[in-house]
Amino acid sequence: MATPTPMEALQKEHERLLKRLKGAQSLKHVQSTIDLLQSARDTIAADPGQTVLTMAKLQNPIKSSFDSVNDNLKEVHSGLNKYTKALDKSAFCPLQLFKDRPLPSTNDHDALSEQDTLINRAIAMHLLREGQFSVAASFLSEISERKSLQSDPETSTTDPMASSPGSANNILDEVPSSEIRKEFASMYYILHEMKENNNLLPAIEWSRENREALEARGSNLEFELCRLQFVWIFHGKSHDQSIRNREDAIAYARREFQGFMPRYLREVQQLIGAMAFCPNLRGSPYASIFNNISAWDDVAQFFTREFCSLLGLSADSPLYVATTAGAIALPTLLKLQTIMKAKRTEWTSENELPVEISLPPSYLFHSIFVCPVSKEQATDENPPMMMPCGHVIAEESLRRLGKGNRFKCPYCPSESHPRDARKIFL
Amino acid sequence: MAAELTSVQLNPESHYILEQPLLRLPQELARRNFKTVQRVVEREKEYVIPALLDAANGSITRTQTPDQTLAALDAMIARMQGLKRKMEGLQEEERRIQDQSRKRIQHLQALDQIPSLADVKYDQWSRVRLDRLLVDHMLRSGHAESAKQLATEREIEDLVDIGVFTQCQRIVKSLRQGDTKDALQWCGENKAALKKSQHNLEFELRLQQYIEMVRSPDQSKKLEAILHARKYLIPYRDAQGREVMKAAGLLVYTQRTRTSFPPERWTYLSSLFVKTHHELLSLPSQPLLHIALSGGLSALKTPLCHSAYSSPSSNSQSTNTSVCPICSTELNELARKMPYAHHSKSYVEPDAIVLPNGRVYGKARLLEISKNLGAVDEGKVKDPTTGQVYDESEMKKVYIM
Repeated sequence: MATPTPMEALQKEHERLLKRLKGAQSLKHVQSTIDLLQSARDTIAADPGQTVLTMAKLQNPIKSSFDSVNDNLKEVHSGLNKYTKALDKSAFCPLQLFKDRPLPSTNDHDALSEQDTLINRAIAMHLLREGQFSVAASFLSEISERKSLQSDPETSTTDPMASSPGSANNILDEVPSSEIRKEFASMYYILHEMKENNNLLPAIEWSRENREALEARGSNLEFELCRLQFVWIFHGKSHDQSIRNREDAIAYARREFQGFMPRYLREVQQLIGAMAFCPNLRGSPYASIFNNISAWDDVAQFFTREFCSLLGLSADSPLYVATTAGAIALPTLLKLQTIMKAKRTEWTSENELPVEISLPPSYLFHSIFVCPVSKEQATDENPPMMMPCGHVIAEESLRRLGKGNRFKCPYCPSESHPRDARKIFL
Repeated sequence: MAAELTSVQLNPESHYILEQPLLRLPQELARRNFKTVQRVVEREKEYVIPALLDAANGSITRTQTPDQTLAALDAMIARMQGLKRKMEGLQEEERRIQDQSRKRIQHLQALDQIPSLADVKYDQWSRVRLDRLLVDHMLRSGHAESAKQLATEREIEDLVDIGVFTQCQRIVKSLRQGDTKDALQWCGENKAALKKSQHNLEFELRLQQYIEMVRSPDQSKKLEAILHARKYLIPYRDAQGREVMKAAGLLVYTQRTRTSFPPERWTYLSSLFVKTHHELLSLPSQPLLHIALSGGLSALKTPLCHSAYSSPSSNSQSTNTSVCPICSTELNELARKMPYAHHSKSYVEPDAIVLPNGRVYGKARLLEISKNLGAVDEGKVKDPTTGQVYDESEMKKVYIM
C-alpha cells in the first residue's frame, strides 16, 4: 500500500474538491450584499436627508462583495478543474475509440444494435431468473407499449437505422414470461424454504416429480437432498443429538432410502454405519458428512443448477457471465482495435477473434480442440479426427499429411492410413 | 499454473474502461451547474452595479426623490434575494452531484480490495455492474419505468443517471410527436457548448419549423415562414448554403416538401438530438451493455456453441457441470454472428476416453455419471449425450495434445 492506487488518488482529489465546496462562501457574500442594501434602505427610509451620503458610501462595499462572490467562484472553478485533471490522469481510457467502430464483430457495425429484440429478450429472461418479477413485468409491458407505438410508421426506436421492420413484434411471444415466471417463482420458493427454513421437503418433492429427467442426466440430486434431510433429522433442530432424533433419522432412512438401495448402497451404508458412532460422531470417519458447514449451500447450488438445466438454461445468468467476461476481455479487445485501426487491416478469419483472451478457468464451458498441426480450432467443417494410435488432429491436417497414403503420426512412430482415422466429438 | 494465476488476477484499472461515463457524467454536470452559477451572478452584477450608480447619481443631482431611490433599492434587494434563492438551489444540486461522484468513486475503489476475479466479492461487484448496465440500456431505449424500478430495487440510484436520460427521452419523444419546442429550449441552455459541436442541431430544428410552416395549408403561414427564414436560417447561409437554398425553393414548389423533406425527418431529428446530447455529455453513443456484451459473447463463444452435433454441455440431457451461457437460450441467437474466441491450447477433461460412437469424455466423470444413472448394469457405461450403453472395456484412451 505504499503508492496509492489511481482510484485512491482520485478519491483524495475529490475529497479536496468537496472540502473546497463546503467552504464556499459565495452565498454568504450574496447575503451580505443584501444586508448592505437593506441597511442602506433602512437608513434612507428613516432619514431621507442621508440619501446622498448613504448611496455614495454603498458603491464600493457592494462592488467588493460582488468581487468576493466571484473570487469564491474562481476558487470553486479551480477545484473542479483540478479534479477533472485527476480524472483525465487516472487511466480513464476514453471510450471515443468505440465511436467509429465499436468492437470486433463480423458485421461492420455494432453487431448488437440491430438485435434489440434479442437483447431485450435476454434482459427479460435475466430479470425473471434473478427473481426480479415486478421489474420484468414492467419491462415487458413497456416493450409492448413501444411495440404498439412502432406499428405507427412515424415512430421508431432511438436509432432509426437500428429498427429492422417487425423486429419488436414478437418479443412477447418469444419470452414465455408467464411460464418462465412460474418456473422461477417455484425455484425461488424452494430455495427460500431450503435456505431460510432448512426445509428440504419442497426440493425433494420437485426432484421426485422430475426423477426421470434428472436420472437421464445422471444427476443424483434426489439422493443428495434426502441424505441432507437424514443428517438434518439426525441433528435435530436444536443440535442436541438426542436418542429420539437418531430414531427419527433411522425411521426416515427405512422409509425413504429403499429406492436408492442398489445404486447408493455404499452411501446409505455410511449413513447408517455412522449411527453406531453416536454420540461421538465428530471423532468418527463420517464426521465430514455430518458436520459439513457448506452442505446447505452446496445443495442449494446443486439444486439451482439442475433446475435451470432442465429448463435448458445455464445455472448462472448468461447475461451476467457474458458481461463479466466482456469486461475482463475489454482491455485486450481495445488494444486489438487500436492495432487494427493503425494497420487498417481486417480480421484474418472473420469467424475467430485474432487474439487469445485469458479468462478465468471457470469461464470455460466447453472442451476445446486445437489441432496440434495446424493450430486451428476444430469446427463442424474441420472436425477432430482420431488416428488408430489415439492421437488426434484436425481433418484438414489429416488430409494434408496423408495425401491419401499411409503416413506417420506427428506424435508417435505409428503409421496409419487417413481412412482409418475416426471423427470424434468433444 | 502461472498462466492460471494471471488469468484470475484482478486489475482494477482495466475495469475503468467501461466506467468512463460513471465519473465523467457527474463531472460534466457539475461543470455545467457551476457555469450556471457564474452566469446568474454575472447577470445580477451587471444589473445591480449600474443601477446602484444611477441611483447614487440621481440622488446627488437631485433628479431622483428619496422615494425613488428607495424603490430602486427595493428592486435591487428583490433581485439579490432572487439570486440567493437560485444559488441555494444550484448549491443543493451541486451537493447532490458531488455526493453521487463520491459514491461512484467508492464503488470503483472497492475493486482495489478484490485481488482475484474468482473472489466472491468480485462476483457481487460485477452483479452491481450488470444492474447498472441494464439500467443504462433501459434508459437509453426509453424504458424509463423499468429502469427506475430496477435502480430502486437494487439500491443503485446514485450509480445510474436516471435524470439525465429521462430528460433526453422527454425531448426525443416531443420531437417524434413533431414538436421542436423542448429541443430548441435545450439548445438555448447549451448554446456555448453547442458552438463546438460539429452537428448543427439548432439549424436543423429551425429548418424543420420552417418546413412545417411552408407545408401548412394556411396561407398566412407562408409570410411567417419567410420571416422565420430571415431570422433563423439566413445566418447559416455560409455553413449550410445548400440546405438554405433548398428550403427557399420550397416557397415556390410547395408540393415538394414531401419529397425534399419527408416526414421521416422527425426521426432523423430525434436521433440527431440524441447524438448531440450524448456527445455534449461525453456519453458513449451505444449502450455500455452492448460494449460489454459483444466482447463477452466472443470471448466465451466456441465453435461448439452453434455446432450441429449437440455438445455434451449444451444438452440438457447431459450432466456436465453447467450449461454454457452462449448455448443457453438467452444468448444463443445473439451470439450466432459473433466471432468465436481464439484458443491456442486444447482443453479437454482429464484422462479423456473415447466411446465407440466417437464421443469423448473424462473417464472418471463418465463412470460417475453411469453409476448415478438408473438402469445401467455393473461394468457398463452410458453416453450421457446419446444414451447409448457400452461396455466399460470399450472405452478407449484418446490423446489430445
